[in-house]
Amino acid sequence: MATTSTLAPQPAARMGSVDHLLREAIEHAAHLLPSQGPLSVFVHHNTLHAFEHLPFAEAMRQARPLLGCEPYLSEQRYHAELAAGRILLEDIVQVLHEDLGDRADHLVGLLGTRYALRLAMLQTTLESAPPAELRWVLAETDALGKFRSDVSAEQRQRMITATRRWVMRFLQLGVGGAGEGQGTGPVASAARELLRHWSAAELEEWEDSDWEQLTLELLWKLCCAGATLTPPPQAAPTRSERHRELLLAVTGRDSDELVHDLLIRFSAAFLDQGLATWGLEHRDEGFLASFLRLCSTPGLTPTWLRPFKRDARRLRRETVDPLTILQSTLAQLGVEPDAYENYLTATLLALRGWAGMVQQMETNAEWTARPAPAGTLHEFLAVRLLLDRYAIEAIAGDELGDYGDLASLRERLGRRTPRTNGVAAQRGFLLFQLAQALGWTPEDLTRLDPDSWRRLGAELDLFPTLERRRVLHLAYERRYREQALDALAMFTRGGTTLRGADTAPLFQVVCCIDEREESFRRHLEEVEPRCETFGIAGFFGVAMYYRGIDEAFAAPLCPIVVKPAHYVLEQPAPAVVETHQRRSATRKLLGVSARQVHRSSRSLVGGALTALFGLLASAPLVFRILLPHTSAKIRRRFAQVVAPPAHTELTLERVSPDPGPDAEQLGYSVAEMANIVEGSLRNMGLIMNFAPLVLVCGHGSSSLNNPHASAYDCGACGGGRGGPNARAFAEMANDPRVRTILAERGITIPVEVWFIGSLHNTCSDGVEYYDLDRLPEPLRPQLEALRSAVDEARRCNAHERCRRFVSAPLTQTAVEALRHVEARSEDLAQLRPECGHATNALCMVGRRSRTRGLFLDRRTFLTSYDPTTDDEETTILARILGAVIPVCGGINLEYYFSYVDSPTLGCGTKLPHNITSLLGVMNGAASDLRTGLPWQMVEIHEPVRILFVIESTPEKFQRILDRNEALKILVDNQWVQVATLDPHSDRIDLRCGDHFEPYTPPGVALPEAPSSAAWYSGWRDHLRFAKITVPPVAGASE
Amino acid sequence: MSTDSVMSACGVLTVASPAAMLVALAAPALAMRSLSEHAIMRCVKMGVIVGLCSTLALAALMIVTHSPHVTVDLGKWVDLPEDGFHFTFKLIFDQLSTPFVVLTYLLCGTISAFASSYLHREPGFLRFFVCYALFLLGMVLAVAAGTIESLFTGWELVGLSSALLVGFFHDRADPVRNALRVWIVYRIADAAFLVAEVVLHHLTGAGDFDRMVGFGVWPGGTVDLTPGQALFAGSLLLVAAAGKSALVPFSGWLPRAMEGPTPSSAIFYGALSVHLGAFLLLRVSPVVQASLLLQVIVVTLGITTAIYAALTSRVQSDIKSSLAFASLSQVGIIVAEIGLGFHYLPLVHMIGHACLRTLQLLRAPSLLADYRQLENAFGGRYSQAASWSKLVPESLRGVAYRWAFERGYLDTFLYDWIARPTLKFFRWQQRREDKWTAWLTGTTSNSATTASGGVTDEIA
Repeated sequence: MATTSTLAPQPAARMGSVDHLLREAIEHAAHLLPSQGPLSVFVHHNTLHAFEHLPFAEAMRQARPLLGCEPYLSEQRYHAELAAGRILLEDIVQVLHEDLGDRADHLVGLLGTRYALRLAMLQTTLESAPPAELRWVLAETDALGKFRSDVSAEQRQRMITATRRWVMRFLQLGVGGAGEGQGTGPVASAARELLRHWSAAELEEWEDSDWEQLTLELLWKLCCAGATLTPPPQAAPTRSERHRELLLAVTGRDSDELVHDLLIRFSAAFLDQGLATWGLEHRDEGFLASFLRLCSTPGLTPTWLRPFKRDARRLRRETVDPLTILQSTLAQLGVEPDAYENYLTATLLALRGWAGMVQQMETNAEWTARPAPAGTLHEFLAVRLLLDRYAIEAIAGDELGDYGDLASLRERLGRRTPRTNGVAAQRGFLLFQLAQALGWTPEDLTRLDPDSWRRLGAELDLFPTLERRRVLHLAYERRYREQALDALAMFTRGGTTLRGADTAPLFQVVCCIDEREESFRRHLEEVEPRCETFGIAGFFGVAMYYRGIDEAFAAPLCPIVVKPAHYVLEQPAPAVVETHQRRSATRKLLGVSARQVHRSSRSLVGGALTALFGLLASAPLVFRILLPHTSAKIRRRFAQVVAPPAHTELTLERVSPDPGPDAEQLGYSVAEMANIVEGSLRNMGLIMNFAPLVLVCGHGSSSLNNPHASAYDCGACGGGRGGPNARAFAEMANDPRVRTILAERGITIPVEVWFIGSLHNTCSDGVEYYDLDRLPEPLRPQLEALRSAVDEARRCNAHERCRRFVSAPLTQTAVEALRHVEARSEDLAQLRPECGHATNALCMVGRRSRTRGLFLDRRTFLTSYDPTTDDEETTILARILGAVIPVCGGINLEYYFSYVDSPTLGCGTKLPHNITSLLGVMNGAASDLRTGLPWQMVEIHEPVRILFVIESTPEKFQRILDRNEALKILVDNQWVQVATLDPHSDRIDLRCGDHFEPYTPPGVALPEAPSSAAWYSGWRDHLRFAKITVPPVAGASE
Repeated sequence: MSTDSVMSACGVLTVASPAAMLVALAAPALAMRSLSEHAIMRCVKMGVIVGLCSTLALAALMIVTHSPHVTVDLGKWVDLPEDGFHFTFKLIFDQLSTPFVVLTYLLCGTISAFASSYLHREPGFLRFFVCYALFLLGMVLAVAAGTIESLFTGWELVGLSSALLVGFFHDRADPVRNALRVWIVYRIADAAFLVAEVVLHHLTGAGDFDRMVGFGVWPGGTVDLTPGQALFAGSLLLVAAAGKSALVPFSGWLPRAMEGPTPSSAIFYGALSVHLGAFLLLRVSPVVQASLLLQVIVVTLGITTAIYAALTSRVQSDIKSSLAFASLSQVGIIVAEIGLGFHYLPLVHMIGHACLRTLQLLRAPSLLADYRQLENAFGGRYSQAASWSKLVPESLRGVAYRWAFERGYLDTFLYDWIARPTLKFFRWQQRREDKWTAWLTGTTSNSATTASGGVTDEIA
């Protein structure tokens, strides 16, 4: 224990540079932590954002060992998709050709080209297993008795016959009679060794199955012998070995288990936003100080931490700063400054959820009840490393009797680490499987010279599982891309959908670009062919801090990248102020007393009292679970008594010059309103041909018992609900002063046109309208028409959504479907209130008329953009893409990663989730904080990188890219796919690498269906594109 | 058909329906046949409804016919008259067991409805409901048991299903480790129970409650044991109850058991399983009351647990642990009530508490929404520092906080003082044995450990 008290500062001269190194190392390591903040506001972002500066494939290569994640699906899964026709052989061939380029014809020994070898490897599920499992497979399964099931009968027969012929000849010539160039190498001698047991006479009698077995045994022995000739595979890039890994390998005891138990509880207590009734004592002293204080408080300390207790007292006395602790602890652990970054990265990532939350609370959470002070991450790391050190020391002492110098512990452990045997056997097994797949006979194998074996081995190393999965994934993505582009090309061919702009539409609906609104819009267009729909980011350009009438805090309602300057408040209409005050006082009373009941039910005496009356709880318990829909109705009725009055208004117009949170600073000036309205209308291309009614429709989602509820809300509103934005936008657009300014700028909105704000609930498919009482009298009939169309579209939309819910029968009617989705949003036990963004794969940026009538299966973000109204510099497009590509790309990539590796990159199944510190969820009572999306949210997703199809030309897109560095990184590194659709023809150009290539569709006709329902009915899985042939109606235009 | 036979039939059905449910679910699984979610739920629904209805019918008949004590004899399984030993399988429906069986069915039924959507599309759907059926059967059997042996059978089934559900997600290490921990504590409790059973048999010749814990109907009844005998047997039963109900010093497993799916956490650790220990004490309350010293011990243990859990619950920063300890504090009070000689109070307390806690645990994922709603209603940040804490001197508060934060050091104590020395002892034994074997066979002592490496070299 000589090392326990040497936390002395090092000589000051060296410290400066080391200090710098350390800070830098932590900063780099922290970059890799998950960047998900408190769960009450869920913002979608690329899970592997930290790797965006790298090309996608390279990023996956680096992320996999670093994060211990699987960035693609499993090979088995791709092969299953190949068998199911989701991937075609053509895709693999094409992708492989592109991938290999001119290296395809490289010859590998005598066994064919690199291309052929790789193609075979991609079509065969090549199992690999650790030595112990391999042993089991060989001993207990039919691996050496029967050919793999995916080997065709002909090939099997051919191989057996060839082997039989060869063996008989071999034996006739006599064992050891080296004929036909059979060398004396280990491979040939392995064959001889095996065949020594039989004479030709015996073999005459053999059955086919005996020959099959002999063939396979020969193959196996020869492959094993050959494998010894191949160079050993390059050792996997060594992760900076934490002591823990070595110790675990040697002793079987996990030091993280000791450390995490304490660190998780402490981090949770430190970051707690108010869950615990009795918060951490002296939390305000900071992470490190309060931890040291806690540990030096009198009490029973576990054996492994006892030496630390002494240190904690001293460190507290001397108030050592975290970086010094880190430095000296690293020195004690024998970590050199040049290894800091790797070591600290691995250390920080070992409990990445909590470390990430510490970082978020320190840097990005000023709006929470208790943010963490600056420098908390350093303190967290210092505590973590201190604990690591004592746990390592204790385990080494306990298990190995090793009480020596910690600095050299790793070397001592390294000497004890068990050698990994059986590498050659694993390589041999791989060759064995390939030999079956490619039809290499034992004779072929004996002919190979050592040099060929070496080359074969090297070739296999060049195409390991990750590379195979990469190529398979490209094929997987290619299939969907081809389908999408073909459909678009066919659909736009001949310009059939470009309708004349002669008469004004009946009404217009402006929705969010969200792919969940695609079906809503499609159904609206089917129900009322004379309507027109538009898509724009769901905050409608109104970026604001908004506080609803029954809310305590103003929350930002705009994309996360925008910092709003304006504040808007919802107020009761003057007539109902008194009602409002009375009711909000009642709500406060009810809220606080409900809280008191719940809180005291967890205390001693209060708990006893509540428990005695606990039988009363059985009523809501049974009722809410067995009859969720009815009990929700009853609860709503009760809630109405205290709900805020229906008549409210927004403080939209500002009097003072500058915006701000104070009473007189709320809202926007008329000029600002005009700018907002103009910007949004121009983005959508809605600058003429206004219908009498324009419905502006934000969206949000309501569900019960769902910690991830915010992830279903509108991404463009920063994980909030877009209703207030729609309402504000409508009010602005209805303002005559705004219209006057717009008219001056060339957008004439006729006097009789009226905008209505509304909110579409994507879970229950309800639509709520705002400020209908202000609607001018003459427009009432139009409103009725609009509402009945919207109601019908809601039902149809619910019906289409229900095909994805296995618990909803495929036979139900649209009315039943609407009831079903309403019940889903009110059910305590429902883990899948809706499908969220699952299945998203495509994003259209262009006129709706180019896609109107195309069945897009709720997988497509639809952004309205009219290239004909844009200027030569494509200012509007640049503005749109600057927001749409990062936002949709972020959503898409988050779903991608949460799907391909749910336990590591997502947050796994929701079943054991446990809300912690009001910040996030853990699995069970003590685990790492789980970030990403839960499995239930992504389970029907298809992980493909999103394909943007932009109605523009490659040149214009390239110019936009050249001016926007952030976009360039995403696009050029292929985190998203891009194609352009020519505004005046059906020409499509696909971006390959850093340039565009014309895309030639095969010209297969698009299937047609009379309605969406006719196309999707009876099917739960993904659907192909189809043309919905709604009877044409004169007047629909754009 | 006489009323008696109807009542007997109802009594048998009460236990038979979950048994039938278990067989119906487990048999196809053993035959590697998979059942659809729909079929599983139909089976579960049927089992629960039949069980619940027969219990309610029985309760109604008991009230109508004024027979507060119905025994259903399922026959003697072992009978050795000359040794004065028999092993009877018998159910008792009285004022204690009947309400508890109804509660069990009610809560389990509700939970099954909840779980059917909550676990929808979960690969372990069938496995969950097999464990659930096992639990329901065990629970009903333990509650309605008329002999200590049948109680033990039910008790074991509950323990087994609990441990299996804690380890439900067996692809991760933590649930398995924690399930093992729960299992170990349960084994200790079971061992104490088993010894108590043998002792009682030895003392009274039978395990029938109506003979063992008193002649008469619960809660009346007197016991035919001397205070000393009662103390000995009662203490063993107390250990059993403490393990099952996570009383001090076994409390550490309770938060760790929250690894399973939320509905199973609710039913086990919020509601039924955690009360089973207290139920045992209530069932044998005549034994408890036969010894004053035992009563004192029971009350002390109850109060200690209650205070311990109430304080610990306050510092938990995750909702499930917080609720688990809150549950425990009530169980502590219930145990104290039993020690004080109450009968109906702890019964009502148990039933009310089980309902309340189940609802709270099922709603645990709503916490974020609830909190936001509270803040909105309140109109600002809602924080309420405990007023009493200001009265306590700071240093004492620090000590108390750490005590609660470390959960009363119970885990540390059990590991450092019991588990670790035991482990060390056995390792030492193993080394001795290796040496001894080596000496006998004349090989080097480390040959045993390297033998397994040989096979690898062979295939390499």
